[in-house]
Amino acid sequence: MTAASAWSWRALRLAPPLLPLLPALVWLPVLLLLPGLSHGGGWDLIGQFAGAAFKPSLDPLVLSSAFTGLGVTVGIALLGWALSLVLGLVGGVLSSRTVWRTATGSALPAECIRRLLAVPRAVHELLWGLLLLQLLGLQPVVAVLAITIPYAALVARVVSDLLDALPTAGLEGLRLAGAPAGPALLTALGPALQPGVISYGGYRLECALRSATLLGVFGLGGLGTDLRLTLQSLQFRELWSGLWMLLLVMLVLEALLRVLRQRWGMPARFGLSRRSVGRGGREVVLGALLLLPLLVLVAVALGVNPLQLGQLQPLPAWTADWPAVAALPWPSLIGSTLALTLLAAALAVGSAPLLLLLMAPWPWGRALMQAIWALGRLWPPPLTALLLLFVLQPGVLTAALALGFHNLGILGRLLLEAEEAAPLQAEEALAAAGAGPRLALLYGRFSALARSYLAYGAYRADVILRETVVVGLVGAAGLGSLLLEALSSFAIDQLIALVAVYVVLTLMGEDLSDRLRRRLLAA
Amino acid sequence: MISSPDHPLLELRSIRLPGRTAPRLDDVSLQLRPGERVALVGPSGAGKSSLLAVANGLLRPEAGEVLWNGVAPARSRRRRRRQQALIGTLWQDLRLIEELTVQQNLNAARLARWGWPRALLNLMLPLETAANTAVLARVDLSADLLEQPVTALSGGQRQRLALARLLRQEPLLLLADEPLAHLDPRLARELLALLLAQASGRRALLLSLHRPDLLDGFDRVVALRQGRVVLDAAPTALAGPQLAALYRSEP
Repeated sequence: MTAASAWSWRALRLAPPLLPLLPALVWLPVLLLLPGLSHGGGWDLIGQFAGAAFKPSLDPLVLSSAFTGLGVTVGIALLGWALSLVLGLVGGVLSSRTVWRTATGSALPAECIRRLLAVPRAVHELLWGLLLLQLLGLQPVVAVLAITIPYAALVARVVSDLLDALPTAGLEGLRLAGAPAGPALLTALGPALQPGVISYGGYRLECALRSATLLGVFGLGGLGTDLRLTLQSLQFRELWSGLWMLLLVMLVLEALLRVLRQRWGMPARFGLSRRSVGRGGREVVLGALLLLPLLVLVAVALGVNPLQLGQLQPLPAWTADWPAVAALPWPSLIGSTLALTLLAAALAVGSAPLLLLLMAPWPWGRALMQAIWALGRLWPPPLTALLLLFVLQPGVLTAALALGFHNLGILGRLLLEAEEAAPLQAEEALAAAGAGPRLALLYGRFSALARSYLAYGAYRADVILRETVVVGLVGAAGLGSLLLEALSSFAIDQLIALVAVYVVLTLMGEDLSDRLRRRLLAA
Repeated sequence: MISSPDHPLLELRSIRLPGRTAPRLDDVSLQLRPGERVALVGPSGAGKSSLLAVANGLLRPEAGEVLWNGVAPARSRRRRRRQQALIGTLWQDLRLIEELTVQQNLNAARLARWGWPRALLNLMLPLETAANTAVLARVDLSADLLEQPVTALSGGQRQRLALARLLRQEPLLLLADEPLAHLDPRLARELLALLLAQASGRRALLLSLHRPDLLDGFDRVVALRQGRVVLDAAPTALAGPQLAALYRSEP
């Protein structure tokens, strides 16, 4: 070996399987900093919290209250989700370049609508909820709308991206044969669009359940409110009664959606093989028809009344003091928000493959890890943050740990799904040649997964930037903390400025993550 | 496992492997001694691939015994890995890692003997270039390919790389599942010659193939039909009538 040339650092090039693990390096500084952040006490409380998991309160009063709360949360999620799907489909068609080009010959209106829809998308559902709360007062419709608005814009984006990515040869053929624009679009693109939309729509329902829980944590009704109150009053056993119920509902929902995805041949969220052959069209329609009366029933039960939208509450008097707003420490606020985003994203993106690798030889370890991930998915980040505050000081790192844990749950499940769908042959060959289970997994399967996983991670980082606001309540965590303060003290001038900055940051982040994703997937 | 002339490198005793309708392997016994080169022949679906998968430990038989150098597959994970390291398989679908370079693929054959540090370094830096150059030379590939991604190789080059990786593993027992299936006649003969040349001294080769015209270099031929061994003899035994009987369609 020509040692000098072979070992020069210029030859250093990271192979794909290492890339997903790279963000996990962030654990090194985090582990060094953690002891300094700890304020000494509180471990007994964490212990009590963990212990209470095994003996949740079975008091009928507690159970019935949790059950009612869960019903409200699920109802809010269902309504917000269904509305957002309908609006999102319409918005998606309206912001599709292909549709406008077919109908009018110009894609310009699509571009304009796309830009417009970016704004509702850039504001997190919690912010929508809290803003609408100021305008409408505490009503069930607030939480539903808070989910509907950003979700509809998100669905619209995905639908228009799906539409514009479809091959247009069939469409052009129909148009040349004299078919009018509408029927031609529906015939040529409708069936091809269905699997992607339904797969994504199902995924949004899972998200809506998480969002509805989160909104509850901030007082917008449902189980989330119970969770926060029991946590803050240290009633851990009552807390776990609600949590176990929520976990059960979420796991059932996830399992149901997985079965439907398989049954209807829908593509996985980030898969290696795009099995985009939609099946079971009749069942899909039947399912949608069954859903309609259920939604009406839920709306009636929750007392969601669209008429309430007209009854705006008078805003408290406020005066704008723009110089004071301008004097806020913007660079440090933005800096710590970005630091929080990157830290949380690195923790989440890096830890999932690292843990998967560590647990590779032990099936029971894998099962335990999956259970903890499931908990991380549904347990709202602000509550993790509150838990962490029992032992850690408030700050960016504490907030990042809370956000990271939540997103680890989401990314971890996606990674597991992709891992199970990835071809097994290379890993098998390595194992047959005597490689250990961890190395066989790293070399044999991570190689193929790496790029698509990181591409999804880039998308997730963008979501995390938006989510930084939800951990604002642990304090000293950038724009989010100040935003929540401005909301509660009716500092409307600050609020406007902060939301505007958030929107701009999120749009820039979205652009950046899009570019990163395209580069990763193109390579 | 240290090879000793007393033990066969591979011994299968009355192996039975269930299948969906009929057993994939039924009472199959086979011995492979150091230095032996054995061809496995038979029509498609006769159980050749299954037999090789049992031989390399990928499939566990329902009944019967597998002995590697006289020792059953170890229960302890560490010892089992040491056993597996001495069994090299040339897979029909090659099973190269597409996302890695030629060099990284070659080094992947050493993972059984390497610890984590070297396994990770291999994903960052060119490692053991001299050894890799040597095995590439043995299969007639240029060292210029070392830092190329596997995806840049032609079909023939990939086949050779898979063989080079097998050599890099330094196994005692070489198993090959129809390695000549998709090759043109010249390439097939070349690759077969390379494989046969490896099985000397302590090494042994068990290779499944479809082409009776390529049996000259083998010491023995084992013929499978419907999951059973129907012939285990010198290649000359598989002359016209036997061959026709072996490949005749099912009644």
